[in-house]
Amino acid sequence: MGVALLTALAALRAGRARRLALAALALAPVAVSSLLINALLPAGGGGLTTAVAALLRLLGATLPLTLLFATTEAPDLLNDLEARGASRRVVFVAGAALAAVPRAQARAVDVIEAQRARGLDTEGSWRRRLRGVLPLITPLIIGSLAEVEERTMALEVRAFGAPGRRTLLHRPPDSRGQQVARWAMAAALALGVAARAVAVAIR
Amino acid sequence: MIVLEEAAYRYPGTSVWALPPTSLELQPGDVVGVRGANERGKTTLCMVAAGLAPVTIGGELRGRVLLDGRPTVDLAAHELAQRCGVLFDNPIVQLTGLHHTVYEEVAFGPCNLGLPLAEVRQRTQAALGLVEIEHLAERDPGHLSGGETQLVALAGLLALRPGNLVLDEPTSRLDSERSRLVADAIIRVAEADVTVLIAEHDDRLLGRVCGRVVELGQKP
Repeated sequence: MGVALLTALAALRAGRARRLALAALALAPVAVSSLLINALLPAGGGGLTTAVAALLRLLGATLPLTLLFATTEAPDLLNDLEARGASRRVVFVAGAALAAVPRAQARAVDVIEAQRARGLDTEGSWRRRLRGVLPLITPLIIGSLAEVEERTMALEVRAFGAPGRRTLLHRPPDSRGQQVARWAMAAALALGVAARAVAVAIR
Repeated sequence: MIVLEEAAYRYPGTSVWALPPTSLELQPGDVVGVRGANERGKTTLCMVAAGLAPVTIGGELRGRVLLDGRPTVDLAAHELAQRCGVLFDNPIVQLTGLHHTVYEEVAFGPCNLGLPLAEVRQRTQAALGLVEIEHLAERDPGHLSGGETQLVALAGLLALRPGNLVLDEPTSRLDSERSRLVADAIIRVAEADVTVLIAEHDDRLLGRVCGRVVELGQKP
């Protein structure tokens, strides 16, 4: 509950409360099914307390990540990782992973448009749509693989494989308050783990 | 300076020579066009001339390819990048997609070399100026036109200060207006004494920027 509350406070401070609320709302089906199973069905066995605890764990795991991506641009995150000593390859792989979804979406749109231009029906009933999806898969996968090769070459011609550390154009701001908050969170996490371990040992 | 001495190349896992034995010599400041029908090996020639084949993509090279007097097979990929820039036909894949601004995108190469920050900034500014896209410096690279993206990719290569440039159909995806911008940039680059090899279908572009044009498969 503490993590969820802290995240909500941070979201309010960052002006991202609406985004966080939407993310929490997206968990509603999971929350309802958890309540049904644990509180109402005898086979679930956990009761209302277990259901609420499960929901809070879910919120505690998902809301901080949602807030992170709602407040931090991918390039800033990568720049910060690099400033903290992560290798250029690790940073690039992380960046490529973050960029993979929008790139795949853009490629899918291109493929759909190309197939439509050739007369493929991608609208209408679900059966038609399903039939339309199959011819998209092969060019999408092959195109993505070919793009990986092209991007690898493009990186090589930009001296990505050069030895040593990269130059950082700018270092992300890191105020004293942020540093204190990070250490406090790390300490709280360690305390929480320790408290949990003690509780289990006593039980 | 780019020299191919009876250079032939085949891709990994294939038995066909994608590039038949080819000889070509480009002196510093030369702008040479390469023409040829599809599947005649123009792209392969570009990869071989720049050293990407076989250094990065593997395969078998026969004959010799020299960049500024050094065999490409003796150079590491990052050393090749500083001797020869390669511009592909698809500008989108040439950008990293990891930067907020065009300035940061162009600075990516010099940053990779670990150069002092002042030199990174100086090279970036110079490359933007050479291609005349200073006005794009603060723009998001993901929201540029095809022609602008191609110019940003070109500036990104020039920021590494290569003495040679290989352009593989640099205007094939651009309309005539955007092609003109790229052609103007190539002319300015050549005036800066960079050796340029261009594989291209567009005879107008070749005629405008090249000192000579060779037909692939024929003796130069």
